[in-house]
Amino acid sequence: MYLGVDIGSSSSKAVLINRAGMVCGEGIVNIGTGSKGPQISVEQALRQAGIQRCDVRKCVVTGYGRLMYEGADRQITEISCHAKGVKFLWPTASTIIDIGGQDAKVIRVSINGIVENFVMNEKCAAGTGRFLEVMARVLDCRIEDLSGLAARGNPGVVISNTCTVFAESEVISQLAAGMSIEDVALGAHKSIAQRIAGLCNRIGIADAVVMTGGVALNHNVVTAIEKEIHHPIIRLEDPQAMGALGAAIFAREMEAGNS
Amino acid sequence: MSKAMSLISELAYAGQRPKDSILKAMNETGKKSVGCFPIYTPEELIYAAEMLPVGMWGGQTVGTLADRYLQGFCCSIMKANTEQALLGQYDFLSAVIVTAYCDTLKCMIENWKIASPQLNLIPMVYPQNRKIPAGKEYLRDEFLRVKKELERISGKKITDQEIQKSVDLYDEYRRTMQEFSDLVKDYPDMLKAKTRHLILKASYFMDKRIYTEKVRELILELSKLPRENAFGRKKIILSGLIAEPDGILDIMTENGMVVVADDLAHGARQFRTIAPDTGDGLNRMVERVAMQDGCAFLYDEKKTRAAMLIQMKEKYQADAVIVCQMKFCDPEEFDYPIIKKELEGAGIPSLYIEIEQQMDSLEQLRTRIQSFSEMLA
Repeated sequence: MYLGVDIGSSSSKAVLINRAGMVCGEGIVNIGTGSKGPQISVEQALRQAGIQRCDVRKCVVTGYGRLMYEGADRQITEISCHAKGVKFLWPTASTIIDIGGQDAKVIRVSINGIVENFVMNEKCAAGTGRFLEVMARVLDCRIEDLSGLAARGNPGVVISNTCTVFAESEVISQLAAGMSIEDVALGAHKSIAQRIAGLCNRIGIADAVVMTGGVALNHNVVTAIEKEIHHPIIRLEDPQAMGALGAAIFAREMEAGNS
Repeated sequence: MSKAMSLISELAYAGQRPKDSILKAMNETGKKSVGCFPIYTPEELIYAAEMLPVGMWGGQTVGTLADRYLQGFCCSIMKANTEQALLGQYDFLSAVIVTAYCDTLKCMIENWKIASPQLNLIPMVYPQNRKIPAGKEYLRDEFLRVKKELERISGKKITDQEIQKSVDLYDEYRRTMQEFSDLVKDYPDMLKAKTRHLILKASYFMDKRIYTEKVRELILELSKLPRENAFGRKKIILSGLIAEPDGILDIMTENGMVVVADDLAHGARQFRTIAPDTGDGLNRMVERVAMQDGCAFLYDEKKTRAAMLIQMKEKYQADAVIVCQMKFCDPEEFDYPIIKKELEGAGIPSLYIEIEQQMDSLEQLRTRIQSFSEMLA
């Protein structure tokens, strides 16, 4: 078995694949680097696959916490791993939008899976999962409820897409001005979408566009991005696990000696 | 330790400790020192006045005093310089030359006159049209004005013969640095990206004659050693204002990169143009400025910087260019879209990283640099 571990800022993911590339175990925990999250996610994946840690032949770790993880044979960035995972599942993918807890990335991949170029957000958390967390807190709802709220909203509320702190103040002002939570939630999603569209424009978009990372679970954000970039987005069943899947594939390739 | 390694350590140490190195140089030579703001100052005149020109390229200082004079959108070099001036860190300098290359520097000149009057500020403006006769005449007048100020401060008349001698020394320094820079690709382990940076940086804090002799000696010692194996390393050209904090250079090394050449204002732009051997000392200085191209801070109507980077890529057989964009440095920002477009057109991979000198967390940059390295593999 080959293990891939993706340690993000707000979640940890582990994927186990066998020699044939089939996923045999997966663990996703919503706590990230600096916590027990990586360990728990690996334990979940091992349990699901019905194997012990000693049965893992190679392990590759990726994500923000990759340098702190002990027991990996290699560490590779999440950019390469997301590209690897997505191309494995969706071979025609050319553009990958990965929005995680504190990073947003747009990755261009060649037909044979090579990363051709990439862009990342700057320091600010605007356009990332952290932005959604802040919005959920201000709107007094759970983060998983944001998508449903925004789906019932009417367009028209404009939220800053340059700074999460400014955006928070704007949301409070909008609510104080009598705007509904649904309309503000939709405005917040549009704000993320515009930020991502800006990244896409810097690097260029080519179909097929695939979205990965935890924010891809928010269908309303995906729709908002589709509207901004004027391209359909492939919605994967398990977008959060793509980095870990890519890492597991790299681990398998390592043993095959072709990585 | 080999002689080469001992020289590398000595120079890198000098580059790492600016104030100690300057005080040591002052002590050894008995000379006064004059601070030189980025990007170019007429260092030859300072040296001709028998004083030490020393670089003032910011630092890791973070504080709140500079906020009285500079807005949040000023670059971190200017903030650090102002903070250090207000803390009295520069009080050992006999004067400071500030050249007005950008809006921040223009305002700095007026602010510093009030904030740190003890520093004997000498402002200077380079001509926009530095290649036409009127521009050259203007620059010569500016140099004469600075010369007069330096004479007042040093109490010494500067003769043309002394300027000529100083220009000769600076040209020798520039030729030596070009030669040294070309050697780096053959010694990627001894001259890792950060070591290379610190050796170049030491030139700002040592007497130029002594520094040049040391680097000349290093070149000789390196030439006695076999070339190191550079197989599998990614050859990188750096462009931008400065590659600091130098932790980013360590990240490059950790990811199998070797800096084979640079187009940094803090680096090779200081030594890539040699003064022509015509006319008096001032004329040689003026003509050198007129000849220097491919720099964001010297108006270049033909926009030659990208073409120059493409030529450098060929010359050094480089794999990629990394653009180190100092946050809020607008002259560099204006150049970037042209560079990006032309590098893309030439099929040269490039990475844009935005930096501030006082960044304490480099983890996001680590991901970018490592990803770029993986992309080049």
